[in-house]
Amino acid sequence: MTPENAFDQHHQAVYSFAFRLTRRADVAEDIAQECFLALVRAPHRYDPARGSMKLFLFSIARNLALKHYRDDRPGEPYDEGFQPAGIDPRQSLDVASAVASAVASLPELQQEALILFEYEGVTLEEIAQIVGADTGTVKSRLHRARERLRRVLVEYRKVGNAHAAK
Amino acid sequence: MLPNDEEQLTDRELDAILPAWKAPMAPVRMRAAVFPGGSRPWWTRLWSASVHVPVPVACCVALLLALAAWRWATPRTVYRDRIVLPAANAGADPSQLRPVTELRLRIVRSADVSN
Repeated sequence: MTPENAFDQHHQAVYSFAFRLTRRADVAEDIAQECFLALVRAPHRYDPARGSMKLFLFSIARNLALKHYRDDRPGEPYDEGFQPAGIDPRQSLDVASAVASAVASLPELQQEALILFEYEGVTLEEIAQIVGADTGTVKSRLHRARERLRRVLVEYRKVGNAHAAK
Repeated sequence: MLPNDEEQLTDRELDAILPAWKAPMAPVRMRAAVFPGGSRPWWTRLWSASVHVPVPVACCVALLLALAAWRWATPRTVYRDRIVLPAANAGADPSQLRPVTELRLRIVRSADVSN
């Protein structure tokens, strides 16, 4: 697969992933660009035996988002220990921003597992490969993330029911 | 403050809510940033191609080109004249040779010589 083909097939997914991780369009654009530039500069770094092109690009995007996180918050660990306060639904104008805020309130490692699984359709095994953890750990992070979201987003139950009824 | 543990969405309700958060479309300019040449034909890329040359090298090349142009534009004068003698008659009898009564020099410029 040429870099141009990879770009055509995966640029939206890589951009969406970066956007949901950083919640900033400009940073997501920089990260997505850097991913594909890395592929253009050194296409031999992609080894099809180690996974799909999409996973390779997600791994680069994840590392760049991590770097951005560290640059923005020096000294703050990127782990599961961080427990932010719950969101106030009154500050969320609609369910979309409420979900965005709720996901943002998750610890970083739970966030990336949830985003990859729920929004990018990546399997638990593939997430484990991307984040460098075992599948059980990823499954546990995902479970805790969903557990927390179920409580945080309870105010939007009616919206959820309306969506589910469609 | 978080709601009580009893108050929480079901998996189905959560699955219905999560897709509400949409990511924006990737900007179109991203492709141009990643592939500056794009998919344009090679001959259109020639117009925007550039070559970086150090200033001293560029000056030397310009000087040499100017010198070559000056040499080419200036007409060259050739002073190599030659005396054209009548062709020797190979079959003539030496006994019939007579002294030359009149010697006439004719100067022919090289530009006038046809061969």
